[in-house]
Amino acid sequence: MTISFSAGLGRITSALTVALMVTALALPARADTVNVAIIGEPDTFDPMMSTKDVVSIVTQHFVETLYTFDGSWSVVPLLAQSLPDISNNGKTYRIALRQGIVFHDGSAMNSADVVASLNRWLTVATRGKGVADKIDEVVATGSHSIEIRMNEAYSPLLSLLAFSNSAAAIYPEEILTGDTIDQVIGTGPYQLVDHVPDQYIQMARFDDYVSRSEPSNGAGGTRTQAPDEIRFLPVPDPNTRVEGLLSGQYHFADGLPTESYGRIDGASGADPVLLRPFGWPIFAINHKAGLLTDLNIRQALQAALPIDDMLFAAFGDENFFVVDAPLYPEGWAWRNNAGVEYYNQNDPTRAAGLLKTANYDDTPLRILTSRQYEFHFKMAEVAKVGLEAAGFAVHMDVVDWATLGQRRNDPALWDIYITHSPFLPEPALTSLYAPTSRLGWKEKEKDDILNNFTTQTDPAARRDLFAQLQQKVFEDVGFIKIGGFNALMGKSSDLDGVAPSPWPFFWNATLN
Amino acid sequence: MTSYLLRRIFGLLVVVLIVLTIAFIIVRLAPGDPAALMLGPEATPEDAVALRAQLGLDRPIFLQYLTFAANAARGDLGDSIFFNQPVLHVLAARAEPTIFLALFSLLIALVIATPIGIYAAYRRGSWLDQISISTAMLAASVPSFWTGLMFQRYFATELGWFHAAGYGGPDATFIERMSYLILPSIVLGIVNSALILRFTRTSMLDILGEDYIRTARSKGMSERRVILRHALKNAAIPIITVIGLTFALLVSGAVVTERVFNIPGMGNLVVSAVLRRDYPVIQGTLIVVATLYVVINLLTDLCYLLIDKRVRY
Amino acid sequence: MASAAPLIEPRFIDLLLSRRAVAVALVVLLIVLAVCLLANLLAPEDPMKMSVRQRLTAPGGDFWLGADAFGRDVLSRLLYAGRVSLGIGGGVALLSSLIGILIGLCAGFFRHLDGLFSRLIDAMMAFPDILLAIALVSILGGSIVNVMIALSIVYAPRIARIVRASTLVIRELPYVEAAHALGSNTFVIMYDHVLRNILSPIIVQSTFIFAYAMLAEAGLSFLGVGVDPATPTWGTMINEGRQYIDQAAFLILFPGLAISISVLSLQLIGDGLRDAMDPRLAKNL
Repeated sequence: MTISFSAGLGRITSALTVALMVTALALPARADTVNVAIIGEPDTFDPMMSTKDVVSIVTQHFVETLYTFDGSWSVVPLLAQSLPDISNNGKTYRIALRQGIVFHDGSAMNSADVVASLNRWLTVATRGKGVADKIDEVVATGSHSIEIRMNEAYSPLLSLLAFSNSAAAIYPEEILTGDTIDQVIGTGPYQLVDHVPDQYIQMARFDDYVSRSEPSNGAGGTRTQAPDEIRFLPVPDPNTRVEGLLSGQYHFADGLPTESYGRIDGASGADPVLLRPFGWPIFAINHKAGLLTDLNIRQALQAALPIDDMLFAAFGDENFFVVDAPLYPEGWAWRNNAGVEYYNQNDPTRAAGLLKTANYDDTPLRILTSRQYEFHFKMAEVAKVGLEAAGFAVHMDVVDWATLGQRRNDPALWDIYITHSPFLPEPALTSLYAPTSRLGWKEKEKDDILNNFTTQTDPAARRDLFAQLQQKVFEDVGFIKIGGFNALMGKSSDLDGVAPSPWPFFWNATLN
Repeated sequence: MTSYLLRRIFGLLVVVLIVLTIAFIIVRLAPGDPAALMLGPEATPEDAVALRAQLGLDRPIFLQYLTFAANAARGDLGDSIFFNQPVLHVLAARAEPTIFLALFSLLIALVIATPIGIYAAYRRGSWLDQISISTAMLAASVPSFWTGLMFQRYFATELGWFHAAGYGGPDATFIERMSYLILPSIVLGIVNSALILRFTRTSMLDILGEDYIRTARSKGMSERRVILRHALKNAAIPIITVIGLTFALLVSGAVVTERVFNIPGMGNLVVSAVLRRDYPVIQGTLIVVATLYVVINLLTDLCYLLIDKRVRY
Repeated sequence: MASAAPLIEPRFIDLLLSRRAVAVALVVLLIVLAVCLLANLLAPEDPMKMSVRQRLTAPGGDFWLGADAFGRDVLSRLLYAGRVSLGIGGGVALLSSLIGILIGLCAGFFRHLDGLFSRLIDAMMAFPDILLAIALVSILGGSIVNVMIALSIVYAPRIARIVRASTLVIRELPYVEAAHALGSNTFVIMYDHVLRNILSPIIVQSTFIFAYAMLAEAGLSFLGVGVDPATPTWGTMINEGRQYIDQAAFLILFPGLAISISVLSLQLIGDGLRDAMDPRLAKNL
């Protein structure tokens, strides 16, 4: 027994040695394969069914939409031939489709596929359902042309059709039979080869892909299909994504902690990719029930928040955040200065006065947050200190992201929940302004402005209406924008052709 | 012997049934809605209700249990809500890394622990004994994720000797996949060597105090022979027990290490499943792992029977 | 095993302290305990006070052990966190012992309950600690009390198993049977004869449970399913500090040391207790 035991050990030791040598010799991944570390496993490959960014990032490579966004977030055609021909009253969209587009199953795309896909989008997708009552019908007017007929003008429609998130994806009509799609088939430059949950999503170049011919610009224009393969690797732990990037395992890593900037910047094989600005943290306010249905208390909240400390604690370095009031950052058409004087007052005395006016009775203000995103939690912790200084009683409800997703649907359970959003090309893409959202922000004047905003088609008039809407957000404290923040991603020094984006794509990526 | 075996197997079945029930209760009591989670941040409450109905989460809990128990008896642990695949399927896909990680780290622990444990017992009270015992204790006192993070940082990122994380790509060969397990195995091996080392030492000390060892010595047998021939042979039984236990623990207990090194094993799966509220997967993992533990336990006891004829039931 | 023996023999304490490592461990643990209990007197700062502009200040100067990501004083937090971490460890040791004793005594003493209880113990033992703890905390929610309850449920079967085994043996001893025959109340017998005799193995085991529970708390916090992260514990401090491993390694160093030192001391003490209680082993040393 003793002898065989030690002999066994000997074998094991040599096996380990061999394995060690193999590691030392381990080759980097094939040069024409791009490995991308993403923050988690996408729960579906059907982008209609999810509003999660990670789903958009992955699925945009194999399913496409009629329109998409270029580098400056203007809507440009993708599967549509050109921008639609919109009737003067804004109610009819005539869309010509590109010819010769082939799905991954070999069938050709025609208007029947598009009509079926859009109808499904209006029935099942969160954003589609949001506009469904404004749309009378979607009809094919030829083999490669369709028409969307509406009962009221709705200017954000084109942006919705272009968005990769709760996307109006175009599928072959044949696969749209049940509630869910078993095998996602699209027209994208890459097709799904293999998927091992929590390990990798492997996609390979689709040889029959027909690219647009305009120069590449954002997601618009030519898609060169440069890599042979793209692999998405779900890596939920942010530190592990950093280590993997630095050790050369990943060519690109999404969602890195800002604290790792210095290390990535100093490393020889990797570079930081800063998406500036990425988005805005939001304190969503419960207008349906509880403490914050009282305007005075909402204003006290607005006055008390120590915005710059919150941002500083959350993002650590002024490279990563900006104390900025307007709802859109510098350089965006939607930017304006209406109501900015209400932002970052940091005035506990004024807040205390407002609380007194409201006869505040020490009912705790319930802040619902999670640690899925560390900066949410940090902002909440600093906010708590500031609010308590102004006389609020604060109860922090720190739950996991799953529980938060559930609890926020019940207005009896929270006063504030914390979330964030990328800056979206069209304000109406977020539901925050809508009286029907889970915030339940109903206010007569605001609702009228919003209605005008979504039916108005003239861009200059819409900008003006948006300024009025922003004024209302501040005056009535509809929700609170905390500031602007940048997102850190990282790439291998060998990787080129990937533009920073909330939804980075890799069809133009090259490896040296 | 046969009746003993039958009794043990019956007991095992009862235990598994209790395990099944506990797992069901635990998981159903959890807050958090898998439907809301699957739909993403902008979905409406109505969307969540519809999806819950589609997934069967809206039926009375008692009915859900009956269905669950009946299916489990047939080896069907339900479908993962998240992956839309049978739970056993999902688990089977995660078994390879977990089992090999357990195996490698057990081997590493044995390589470190048994020789040192035997030697420490043989030279009890010596500086080597003192040092090995204190080191083992220290290793068991440091949180394993701390050790994991440090090793990952230094040996993988800085020195580049090992893979930092993951389990290889789609075309990774078996050897390549195994190479991803080396560093985590070392971390786990070190942490677990403590238990085995201390146990080996104690068992050896017990045996070395027995009369027949003294007799052997007095007959002029060389000390080396006494240790290897007589002492080790008898100490093997308790050591096997602890090895069985450690293996069972490793199969299930690598949660933290799998998380640090992003190894797609069962431990990692269950943490993700908790965060995703994937009830059937949490249930399935608890059941499979607990059953595995009970079976390994039984096998270890049978080893007793085979090795030591003195043990009678 | 005379039933009239005092709870703890004096010889036992001598034996325990005769090992230098154990004596040192005992002193260290007592110091750690005392310092944490006196946190409100000793801590230089309010552990929750933020000075965001001074975040991640290195140790020295105003902050002896540095400042964390919110500019809070690490030393003060370490002391207050120690209360919670040691409290969780000690609470779990106590609570799991109580549950374990209750189940173990019932299983050992009432024959008709034994089958059910020992299967229940087996079933609970079959769940891996950390998995069961994760599942339980995710249902109960991550408060200090809930983490304590979850971990006590996880560790109670270990005590129950020991108690049951000893009870089975002791129940058959002549003097216990005699007491039965003389009409003593079952509960009196249980207390007088059984509990007093099995106290030492329980103390040993609960010392280890104390240590494991502290490690488990840290592990749960690491996985993000532990105590409410706003509560300072050594585990949550490490988990928070992990993000700043580059700029401020001290953030995980100090709580890591605190856990390791406490756990090590507890294990040494547990070992010492075990050796001191088992004369056969002591003879070997």
